[in-house]
Amino acid sequence: MPEISRRDFLKLTRDGFLYLSGALALGGLLRFLSYQTEPTPQTEFDLGQAVDFPLNSRTLLADIPAVLLHTESGFSALSLVCTHLGCTVEQKTDGFTCPCHGSRFTSDGKVTHGPAAKPLRALRVEVTDQDTLKLFTA
Amino acid sequence: MRKLLVIAAGALLLTISLAWWFSGRQPKPVELIPTLTNQPEYCISCHADVPEISKSHPVKTFGCVSCHGGERLALNADLAHSTMRGGKNPSDLSVVEASCGGSNCHSGSEAGNNDHIQRVITSIQSTYAGAIANVRFTFGAQTDMTAHFGITAITNAQTQSDITSLAAFDPASESNPSIQKFGANCLNCHINATPREGDVYARQTGCAACHATGKHTLTTAMPYTQCNSCHNRGNYDLRTMTFVERADHPTSRLQDYYQPIAQFTKCEYTLDCVDCHTRTEAMGDGNIHSNKKDIQYIQCKTCHGTPTELPLTKTLTDPNDIAFKLAFLNPVVDLRLGDTILVTEKGEPLWNTSVQPDGTYTMIGKATQQHFTFKPVMGSSCTQNGQDQSSAYCHECHSVQR
Amino acid sequence: MRPSFFHHLHPPTIPAAQARWRYTLGAGGTAIFLMVVLTITGALEMFYYIPTPAEAGLSIQTITYLVPFGGLIRNLHFWAAQLLIIVSAVHLVRVVFTGAYIPPRRFNYLLGLVLFVFSILLNFTGYILRWDTGIQWALLVGTNLIKTIPFVGNYLYQILIGGTQPGSATLIRFYAWHIFGLAIITVILIGWHAFRVRRDGGIALPPPKLRANPERITRFELVRRETLAMLLTGAALIIFSIFAPAPIAAPIPLSTLQSVPESAAAPWFFLWVQQMLKWGDPFLWGILIPLIILLILALIPYIFPKPLESELGRWFPVSGRVAQITVVIIAALIILLTILGSAPTS
Repeated sequence: MPEISRRDFLKLTRDGFLYLSGALALGGLLRFLSYQTEPTPQTEFDLGQAVDFPLNSRTLLADIPAVLLHTESGFSALSLVCTHLGCTVEQKTDGFTCPCHGSRFTSDGKVTHGPAAKPLRALRVEVTDQDTLKLFTA
Repeated sequence: MRKLLVIAAGALLLTISLAWWFSGRQPKPVELIPTLTNQPEYCISCHADVPEISKSHPVKTFGCVSCHGGERLALNADLAHSTMRGGKNPSDLSVVEASCGGSNCHSGSEAGNNDHIQRVITSIQSTYAGAIANVRFTFGAQTDMTAHFGITAITNAQTQSDITSLAAFDPASESNPSIQKFGANCLNCHINATPREGDVYARQTGCAACHATGKHTLTTAMPYTQCNSCHNRGNYDLRTMTFVERADHPTSRLQDYYQPIAQFTKCEYTLDCVDCHTRTEAMGDGNIHSNKKDIQYIQCKTCHGTPTELPLTKTLTDPNDIAFKLAFLNPVVDLRLGDTILVTEKGEPLWNTSVQPDGTYTMIGKATQQHFTFKPVMGSSCTQNGQDQSSAYCHECHSVQR
Repeated sequence: MRPSFFHHLHPPTIPAAQARWRYTLGAGGTAIFLMVVLTITGALEMFYYIPTPAEAGLSIQTITYLVPFGGLIRNLHFWAAQLLIIVSAVHLVRVVFTGAYIPPRRFNYLLGLVLFVFSILLNFTGYILRWDTGIQWALLVGTNLIKTIPFVGNYLYQILIGGTQPGSATLIRFYAWHIFGLAIITVILIGWHAFRVRRDGGIALPPPKLRANPERITRFELVRRETLAMLLTGAALIIFSIFAPAPIAAPIPLSTLQSVPESAAAPWFFLWVQQMLKWGDPFLWGILIPLIILLILALIPYIFPKPLESELGRWFPVSGRVAQITVVIIAALIILLTILGSAPTS
């Protein structure tokens, strides 16, 4: 057992208590600061009757933002959130362009011009029993 | 000093650890975000065991606070309950407008069939105007039988009944001692009154007086026992101005329904009050009336007709007919477009009845769900004078022996 | 060991007599520590508090019940604030009772009085920020008292309240007053006050030639004592804050500022004023008399017989008797008025 003076032992104990207190206080502070006051944003959207979106239609849903596609294989959606830094891309005749830094995408969402590196996200669409559409952004 | 510092540091560590420990012991906040308000509420952190109040008021849509008030974020009982309306009963008439009102809810328009609060507040069961007017007339405080006073002062600018307002009845300012005694002994049975002592009288106030049949329950299918917390409990002795409770000890529905002195037919005790008495009879028609006879109008002939007339019927052709809404709220019958039902003289639908192709009628008890089949009086061996619709007249032959 | 920044804030040594607990009660130092606690807990509350009438009460409920350790932080803030008034009063009384206000410490004594007034104003503005039915009368009465001041009353009211009656402008102004108008100024004044202590020769003691005890302690020992006091005060505050909740009431309804408030009692440190206000003219009893009391305290170093330098460093020097008796009387009166003011009105 290595020799330790009484003074050093007391100092060690004191410092230990203080560091532990500090750690607990820091932990408490982090928990305090991490509370979210706002409810998490909506990730499920009701789009209305399926019949309102006929075959081969492309419908711009500005408040999601997304574009709803109805093809032979069914309903699908493309997120219009630019994969670079999050601005909403604008619909052009041959695809989408982002106004913030110039990224360009095809109408299927594939990147044709940077700085975005990833294609526009595909979003899940479900048809309910009442023949209405539900869009999921999560 | 150095030792003291160690002890003090230890004390600090102890208190911070205690703070952590107590934080872990707090009841976990349980959040509910009702879709109607989108504002988080934490009532169910402590009140998770409260049952859904009705199918029409799901807690996921309404939450708790939109009806009850209260502090939605507080987890301390005193603070959370401090701004609740009406204590445990937000439908007490003093706060009902804030709790149940609103043009989308129960203080809308007559056309929208959601003017419940306006109708109840002016109804005779709330104002007690008939009893008050009769007693005041009897003892000379007024020279007519028209109502001038109600339990609380109310005004009705759009009334169609000639009475535009009632003043608040104040027994203390009455000079006749009998009227004062009436005020002291006889004001237990209006909708917003505290009921008399005793289990048989137990009920709540406001909308809950009729519609609340259990713990945190609202229904439109009230059994007769609900009405009998005020009705059929005894008689008032006008000379002594006291209430004489009924002295019998009923053991069956037949004995319990009415007082021993009453005469009644089989349907009058087999059915519940709500099976016959209509919305406007019970809740008023929005006008101030002087007497319950001005609002009560259901008679035997409403369902049974007379020897010379069939009861009134209506075939439901409008999907927005209130009959469908009422049937939806209490689904004991599958009402369809094209069904024919009985209606009252005022056109109120008796939606739990049905006119069969062969001319017979059926009825389903709203609370009991019993099926009944009956025939109109016309074509039977009834020797009734169709003009005489006093209850004693039909009871002459049809009253039940207890 | 090598002295740290905190060690360097202190002189290399100070006379041991100055550092005795029984002499200073550690009141001044504790007051500074409480102000530090208030600044930190106040800053943390700023992450969640919303200074609008619609949201203030609700944001405080969020802090109290929903934010992890939010209730603890709020209670710490509240109890540190109330303790600060008491500790500052003890410090003031100690300074008078030990004659420590004579030149060169006279200016610092006045600075201290200003700090005392600021801490009371901080407490009051913080109280108002609750914006619930418990503070409603205090808001009305406190702001209406300003209007009673002759000539400048209404103008001053407009500046402080931000309108013709208390409302959302008042709340945001009191928020600005609380943090920037008062707290930041207080921190600066505390710095000045502490600097003056050192420049005036440290805690009051007779001149070196007249000192009985030549013993001195090092800055290290001094810092150790201060640390001990802070640890114990901190632990006591935390224990208190775990078990005793800060007051809270239902938020002031938006619909009308005339809604019935919960309680007509003033905050405890103003109960003595509330009692006096029952006696008559509001300007006289609510503003003038308290100001006169403050003036008397401020004039102590100027008009009363000066305690002798040789008698410094101990309690109740004979030469300072008049000032001591005056302060005892003032303190007794205020305590008596507080007790009278707290009795339930029938």
